[in-house]
Amino acid sequence: MTEVKVKKESTDPVDIENRIKELCQQFPHGITDQVIQNDMPHVEAQQRASAINRLLSVGQLDLLRNSGGLLYRLKDAQSTSKVKGSDNQEKLVYQIIEDAGNKGIWSRDIRYKSNLPLTEINKILKNLESKKLIKAVKSVAASKKKVYMLYNLQPDRSVTGGAWYSDQDFESEFVEVLNQQCFKFLQSKAEAARDSKQSPMVQRNSSFATSHEVWKYICELGISKVDLSMEDIETILNTLIFDGKVEMTIIAAKEGTVGSVDGQMKLYRGVNPIIQPTGLVKTPCGLCPVFDDCHEGGEISPSNCVYMAEWLDF
Amino acid sequence: MTAQEVRLSGLLLQEHFGDVVEKVGTRLIRSGVLTLRALAYETKLPLDLVKKSLCVLMQHGMCLFGAGRRGPAGPVEYRIISERILHMLRYPRYIYTAKSLYGDTGELIVEEILQRGQMTMSSTVKTVADRLTHNMPEGQSMDYSEVVSAFSRLVETHFLQRCPPTASAGSSSSGAVNTPLPAVKQPTEPEEHPECYKLPYINLTGQGKRRRSSEDGEADQRAAKKAKTDDSECGDEGIYWQVNFQRFHLHFRDQAIISAVSCKLDQTSSEIVRTMLRMSEVTTPAHAAFTQALSANEIFRALPSSYNIARPILDQYLTLLVDDPMEFVGKTGDSGGGMYVVNLHRALANLARATLESVVQERFGSRSARIFRLLLRKRHLEQKQVEDFAMVPAKEAKDMLYTLLSENLVQLQEIPKTPDYAPSRTFYLYTVNQLPTARLLLQHCYKTVGNLIERRLYETKENKRLLEKSQRIEAILASLQATGAEAAQLTEVEEMITAPERQQLESLRHHINKLDSSENQVDETIFLLESYINSTQAAR
Repeated sequence: MTEVKVKKESTDPVDIENRIKELCQQFPHGITDQVIQNDMPHVEAQQRASAINRLLSVGQLDLLRNSGGLLYRLKDAQSTSKVKGSDNQEKLVYQIIEDAGNKGIWSRDIRYKSNLPLTEINKILKNLESKKLIKAVKSVAASKKKVYMLYNLQPDRSVTGGAWYSDQDFESEFVEVLNQQCFKFLQSKAEAARDSKQSPMVQRNSSFATSHEVWKYICELGISKVDLSMEDIETILNTLIFDGKVEMTIIAAKEGTVGSVDGQMKLYRGVNPIIQPTGLVKTPCGLCPVFDDCHEGGEISPSNCVYMAEWLDF
Repeated sequence: MTAQEVRLSGLLLQEHFGDVVEKVGTRLIRSGVLTLRALAYETKLPLDLVKKSLCVLMQHGMCLFGAGRRGPAGPVEYRIISERILHMLRYPRYIYTAKSLYGDTGELIVEEILQRGQMTMSSTVKTVADRLTHNMPEGQSMDYSEVVSAFSRLVETHFLQRCPPTASAGSSSSGAVNTPLPAVKQPTEPEEHPECYKLPYINLTGQGKRRRSSEDGEADQRAAKKAKTDDSECGDEGIYWQVNFQRFHLHFRDQAIISAVSCKLDQTSSEIVRTMLRMSEVTTPAHAAFTQALSANEIFRALPSSYNIARPILDQYLTLLVDDPMEFVGKTGDSGGGMYVVNLHRALANLARATLESVVQERFGSRSARIFRLLLRKRHLEQKQVEDFAMVPAKEAKDMLYTLLSENLVQLQEIPKTPDYAPSRTFYLYTVNQLPTARLLLQHCYKTVGNLIERRLYETKENKRLLEKSQRIEAILASLQATGAEAAQLTEVEEMITAPERQQLESLRHHINKLDSSENQVDETIFLLESYINSTQAAR
């Protein structure tokens, strides 16, 4: 009997911690101090507090606050193992980065949120990176800015720029190639329609191509290593509109027809420009880089213009 | 007038009328309204020379006179109509149009009237008949009646019109100032007169007289004298005809619209638009935004018979024209099978926009043209949005935008978030305004034409010696041939021009032709931009 008493009376810190952990597991929403006290009435407040503090510092317990008082909750086993061995500050920084999710967070923002000095932040970030818990992704908007996010997360489209960017570089040749391919497709369709010599309405309607058709054609061509969605193709087709080579109409389509988005379909058609290059640009003055400096009697004048001399002898 | 316009006007006046008229003309343009004394004083020319130059300008309809600031009792003031001087650039185009519509006869009629400014019908007919007869083979001559019929056709389609009668005709010659002169500010519009397009009755029969080359000198003088005395016999003295520039301009505008439609759609659609425009030629007022509404039935009946398209096909074409994003044709109603109008102002705006885009494309490259078109469509965009829509890498987009900004083709609009315009807290939006940009390009065009004319004058001056020599040699050759010299003498004279000189002459001719033709090409751009600017101003 005495042994049991002795055992019971010995306030082993590890026991207390384990007991608290079991209690937390019983109540996944969190336990208050009162609950621990009820369970182990013989444990003194100081010992209780030190046990709790130890658990907190190791990172197996989460400290929360609700309207009543303080709550203690068991932390995830997985995340526990991850940050084992790190200290409070690192845990804080890690939490902030985790909250930023897909988009990542800039180092200055981390500083604001955690109120830690810059040197500390840098040290912690380097630490975490070496432990392979976070990674730095270069943002495509500002090339010098680095955002941090969790290691296994896929960076968001706004950061990497989507299909047109590979390694932060805008792929202009890729865009150009796609541009030309789409234009050729639409142009050949328009020519086929024109040669068919049917009634004009039918001719015009057959020269239209939906964005879905263009998308399928480009996918089948297989010039793209990356998967392109229909929106990507539509942005390419928009650039063709801004080149003045293509025009677009929107028609109403039944829901469920292939390629319709929200009950509409976009149709594209190759067109010819409405005027020839205008008269002004057929003269050297229209293209002259020093047009504003040219006066009769000056250094640059029509009489001694080099561009004109070359153009006249052409 | 802007500085470039004044410079161009000076060059044109000098080329067509000489130095004295140029001095008087530019003085008047610069100073606005002047009296005779003031004009003579400022140009430092003798009074009779100034009077003669003013007469020349008035004859061509470029100068107006009227009561001045001091009222009818004060001295007469003179004012220049600046647009008329710039129309001189377009004379070749008018003559070419007349030729394509009415053949050689029409061409010569318009050429004569343009040269003289104003002419009576009878004198025109006689001169043109003589010129045509001169070019015809021996034994044939041009009948007056043919020329008269061409003239009347020109008047019926309003290409020629009567000059408005001046109020002081007849009384100013006697020096009396009794009749009140109209104020200078309101020139009478020729169209306000009811008889503007009425042909006078003239009894003119006969044929063109061929001029013999041997009687050149005497025949000229005799013919000139005869022309003066013949006038009074024909019954139309005092009725002078001038070219109706507005009508020619409407014709050019129609041509531009038709060619745009044929480029964008196809030949048949452009024929339909041509028919529509032809039907509303004389019924639509000059600055209207739309033509008269035409029903599909009328269009069907008026189509040229070579295009026998069925009625439903015509309806389809019309529907396609209406649906086109360029909006050349609009539908205003359903009576008579559908009422259709041609949207003139919108067509002009589209043509002007295409001109601006083509200038940007040729000057700065197709990517800058893409950015320019993007801004025209989307009005206001931020730097980042421009890069995204145009799919241009950020650095290049920035570079191009700044180049366009420095050339004033693109403007920057600042929208502040805070009352102090702190740069980090304002939105900077790029935008393109079509009308001011069109005005800017128009001034560029004027400067370009001025440069081309000056270069042409310079080239001529540089090679003056050579040109004179070749002219002398040609004169010697002609006289030798007339007096029947031997072949050896002819070749001797020809060899006086050496081969390199011949080459130089050839290249000079080539240069001058090139400069001339490019003047005409720039004039086409000038016409489009001017019509667009006038149409938007008239609409306001």
